[in-house]
Amino acid sequence: MPSPADLVGRLVRFVGEILGASSLRFEIGPTLAVLGILLVLLQLVARPVSRWASSDAGGLTAVGRAMALAAESGTDVVVSLGNGGLVRATDALARLQTLAALPSLSHVARAAARSGVPLRVLTSDPMAMVTAAATVEAGHETTETLERRGRSRIVYVGEGRATAAGLVLTTRAHPAAAFAVGSLREEAVLQLEGLRGGAGSLTAGTAEPAQVSSVLLAGGSIIGPGAYQVAADLRADPTERTMVMAANRLILIGVVAIVVGAALAAAGILDPAAFLAGAAAE
Amino acid sequence: MRRPVVAALVIVVGILLLADFLVVNESLGEIAGLVIDAVILVAAGAALAGVVSLAWRRGYDLWRRRGDPIGAILVLVGIAAMLVAGLRPGAEGAGDPAVGWLVAALLAPIAATLFGLLFVTTIVAARRSLSGGARDAVLLVAAALVTLVLLLPVGGEVGDWLAQAAGWTLAVPVAAVFRGLLLGIAILAAVFAARTLLGIGATDD
Repeated sequence: MPSPADLVGRLVRFVGEILGASSLRFEIGPTLAVLGILLVLLQLVARPVSRWASSDAGGLTAVGRAMALAAESGTDVVVSLGNGGLVRATDALARLQTLAALPSLSHVARAAARSGVPLRVLTSDPMAMVTAAATVEAGHETTETLERRGRSRIVYVGEGRATAAGLVLTTRAHPAAAFAVGSLREEAVLQLEGLRGGAGSLTAGTAEPAQVSSVLLAGGSIIGPGAYQVAADLRADPTERTMVMAANRLILIGVVAIVVGAALAAAGILDPAAFLAGAAAE
Repeated sequence: MRRPVVAALVIVVGILLLADFLVVNESLGEIAGLVIDAVILVAAGAALAGVVSLAWRRGYDLWRRRGDPIGAILVLVGIAAMLVAGLRPGAEGAGDPAVGWLVAALLAPIAATLFGLLFVTTIVAARRSLSGGARDAVLLVAAALVTLVLLLPVGGEVGDWLAQAAGWTLAVPVAAVFRGLLLGIAILAAVFAARTLLGIGATDD
């Protein structure tokens, strides 16, 4: 029977062998940057910051008024999760935006369930459909209105961004309010204009940097990073706020790194570009 | 009981994928590959179930004579055409010329036609925004008009000055705002991805 010291020795040898057979995929700078993000986030999760000034940049706290109008007029409310999806062929940023849109959907779903307003959720991805259905159901569970669940629909708009825009432009329904939060790219103006034309009010947002103008033209105000942090103003859950706090700290670190790096590079002491990004200095 | 198991699974898979992203290790890579293959299988299953559900729903609507019959017929014919083109005996699947023709001759022109509406839709959106009097929209349209003037194809000294001004606008204020926006988006996306990988908070509520 091996002694505990022998067991620990074997374990250390095993870990050592694994480490010996491994190497870093990136340079030390990018690896530390990724681990730094985790460190800042975990540190805030362990010790959440309680100070918070709510801003409601997207105007989503006024969703109750939209629901009252919908209930009065007997119409539904549309939520578009953008056209990034979760498993369709697109990039990670578009997928992340679909995930980031779920808290907004959850907020609208709870308000709709409470007011007895049917919800129509538009998505172009089968997995996003399943997730959206679960989110809508959770809204009914929270408000104990499961008997109303059958009135809401999750609509698969088809593959491709053009299809989603085409559906919105040609639909004859006039919802009381429309919410479009998620990945919107070349179809943004078409989709938002289609929703804006048919709906009583429109709340729009996307984290696609090239579509800021489209969102502003449609009257939306959730642009850029705001699409990820809008949930922090909707929920009292400190986890949502922790994410924004972590991002704020990282932005501060980023700004300091840019300023100090630029000063060092200008003085000719050190060019941190190669260390941080693995890029060759010009 | 279900939630802790799901949360634990998310954390284990998240940390595994993150470790594989940062470290090159054969064993780790194989396990991460296995997890990714499983995700692809689930996604493919969901996509297949989605198509079957769509066909069933449209077929049932047609059978019960409710909803939009023309739309239902078009959806069913479209699904059937793609399936026949890609799965008929001797076909090469998604790379079959018949599938390529359906995409190139039907889908691509329809999408292009739709995006052709962008010009008109953008003008309509600008007009509507201006009539609403929103400060952001007024500023945006004013900036667009200035850019239009800067990009006018004018020759001579005035043309050179306009071209230089357009280049400076693109290289300095627009690039500064765009880079700031990109920096913010990248950091928020990284934090959001880290949060999802570590199972912090409930993204599906």
